[in-house]
Amino acid sequence: MKQFGKIFKFEFNGYLKNKVFVGITVFFVIAIAVCMFIPNIIAAFSSDAPDEGGTGEPLPVMLIASEQEGLADVIVPFFASAFADYEVKGTEETVNAVKAKVESGEVECAFVFDSLSSYTYYVENLSMYDMNAEIASTALKTALQMDLMQRLGLSPEQAAAVLSATVESRTETLGKNQMDNFFYTYIMIFALYMVILLYGQMVATNVATEKSSRAMEVLVTTAKPTSMMFGKVLASCLAGFTQLVLIFGSAILFYNINRANLDNPIISSIFDIPIELFIYMIVFFILGFLIYAFLFGAIGSTASKLEDINTSVMPITFLFIIGFMVVMFSMAGGSIDNVAMKICSYVPFTSPMAMFTRIAMSTVAWYEIAISIVLLAGSVVGIGVLSARIYRVGVLLYGTPPKLTKILKAVFADRKRV
Amino acid sequence: MKLELRNIEKSFGEKHVLTGVSFTAEGGKAFGLLGRNGAGKTTSIRILMDVFGADRGDVLLDGAPIDYERVGIGYLPEERGLYPKKKVIDQLVYFAELKGMEHKAAIAACDAWLARLGMTEYRNKRLDTLSKGNQQKIQLVTALAHDPEIVILDEPFSGLDPVNAMLLKDVVREQIGKGKIVLFSSHQMSYIEEFCDSIAIIHQGKVVLHGDLKDIKHSYARDKLTVQSPEADRIRLDFGAAASSMADGSVLLRLASAEQKQETMRALAEKYEIDAMKVFEPSLNDIFVEYASEEAGK
Repeated sequence: MKQFGKIFKFEFNGYLKNKVFVGITVFFVIAIAVCMFIPNIIAAFSSDAPDEGGTGEPLPVMLIASEQEGLADVIVPFFASAFADYEVKGTEETVNAVKAKVESGEVECAFVFDSLSSYTYYVENLSMYDMNAEIASTALKTALQMDLMQRLGLSPEQAAAVLSATVESRTETLGKNQMDNFFYTYIMIFALYMVILLYGQMVATNVATEKSSRAMEVLVTTAKPTSMMFGKVLASCLAGFTQLVLIFGSAILFYNINRANLDNPIISSIFDIPIELFIYMIVFFILGFLIYAFLFGAIGSTASKLEDINTSVMPITFLFIIGFMVVMFSMAGGSIDNVAMKICSYVPFTSPMAMFTRIAMSTVAWYEIAISIVLLAGSVVGIGVLSARIYRVGVLLYGTPPKLTKILKAVFADRKRV
Repeated sequence: MKLELRNIEKSFGEKHVLTGVSFTAEGGKAFGLLGRNGAGKTTSIRILMDVFGADRGDVLLDGAPIDYERVGIGYLPEERGLYPKKKVIDQLVYFAELKGMEHKAAIAACDAWLARLGMTEYRNKRLDTLSKGNQQKIQLVTALAHDPEIVILDEPFSGLDPVNAMLLKDVVREQIGKGKIVLFSSHQMSYIEEFCDSIAIIHQGKVVLHGDLKDIKHSYARDKLTVQSPEADRIRLDFGAAASSMADGSVLLRLASAEQKQETMRALAEKYEIDAMKVFEPSLNDIFVEYASEEAGK
């Protein structure tokens, strides 16, 4: 226990003295500060010069062309109301003339009509988010419907009433509103992903460095492997947690300073996380971090060279990414309680992400959560002890990284207590 | 104090590494553990230090199983290396603390050792800025700072210049003088011969020779003479098959029995011009080659 304390302190100090570690933390804090203060800064500047109805920038031009006489004039009013952010102009020029204007950039885009119900949309570069054709079709459809109804004998007012008939609706959420919890779930999953892969790699590198520099020769004769493994992993966990607390703590601080200017509902939803969900987040975060850090540490001990680490950690990285993918696709698809998610929320390697997502975005019974946490916590201890044993066998093996089966065989053949 | 390994057996998987290894090292004396590469020296040392357990056999201190919580062991491994990117004093104190010292005592002890080895100026330098020899001296501090009862030095002299080797010899003599058990493992026979009172030679996982070095040397039949003479060629001709040349140009004469040595020496002194002659004693090198060569195991 005394050794564990010494190792923990030494390793933790190692992180605090690591320039990369400090640099990343400071960078994130500054980046968040900039993001949070920008609306304030913009507001400060724009208050000096109040907006005067947006006359500054000229609107892009949309051309409505038809060789049919008068057709363009009929359509222009409909389009002018549908496309408020364009200056809509009618013309009777030929198709080629219109195309030339679009190509030269003189006009942004153009609709060329053969008849009221048939047109071609011309644009220089079609953006992924260009909805103009859809909006045009909807506007035209209304025009056609109006036209048709009037011809069937309805007055314009009656026709308008038919078209504007709406259904009144209300939604009451009895479980969880996925939209509310989406963003912080997303952020938590992503933070977990980043931190586990980053710190896992750090732990593996740390162990492999001791081995390749042969500091291990003295360490292994001095300290118990369990003290070494738990000291290293828990120190990295505290370091990671300190980093996150600094980053998210400063984010919360800056958010509160700038609360008045940040009325974005997404940002608010991130910071208004319910307290019990916050506690679950911390529990799953720490346990998830530990289980992977132990595995990475064990892997690091089997590599004799730093170059070997990248290939050795691949299976663990894959395992983690599979869990990540299942969660991400389920979140994006909106089906949080699908079979894959249910399985993943009990498997210790994926449950930190999967169970947290289910708790946040769906309704999960308390005993399900309890089972998942107990399984995970038990696995953390089990994997911790196993990795310490792998460590003791692994650190004395030099040469090419041994196969997993060979290591496990050696671990179980090893009679000595850890 | 008496450290004893008794009937140690160890296998790694199918490979049998140690077979009934037994030897005894006493306090206030240096003990030499010899053997060729891969003979089982490092495995024996690791078992002795509780890095891994033996399949069978005991490690005893004064007749009772050794208590690692209470007995301090200092180890200078053959494969040297500490934390290259950390400050010298930081890592020395870390290792001393891991071995059970209090923080302040650890700093004081490490500073004292740095001064003793003339390394004080490197106290706050990063380890990888030091030369190889100096790094080795730093590593020696990790083995000795906590004042262990048992000191294990694996190839301690390799890579040291003659001045540093002298310094290390003084340190080793000091440790022996304090009544500690000092265990050497080395291929440099001259150093072993200089320090060690008793030795064990391990060959292919077995102890093939163990005991007091003087006794071992005396146990060889005293039936050979080495003769240095300007008339070496004549002696060789006269003695025929019984004479052979040694590397230093002197003549080695094999006698029919040890009793003949006085008589032969007298005869030689009368007949030839002699610079020096003495009863041949094998060097540790000769003994080692005899016991640890390929054929010896068969």
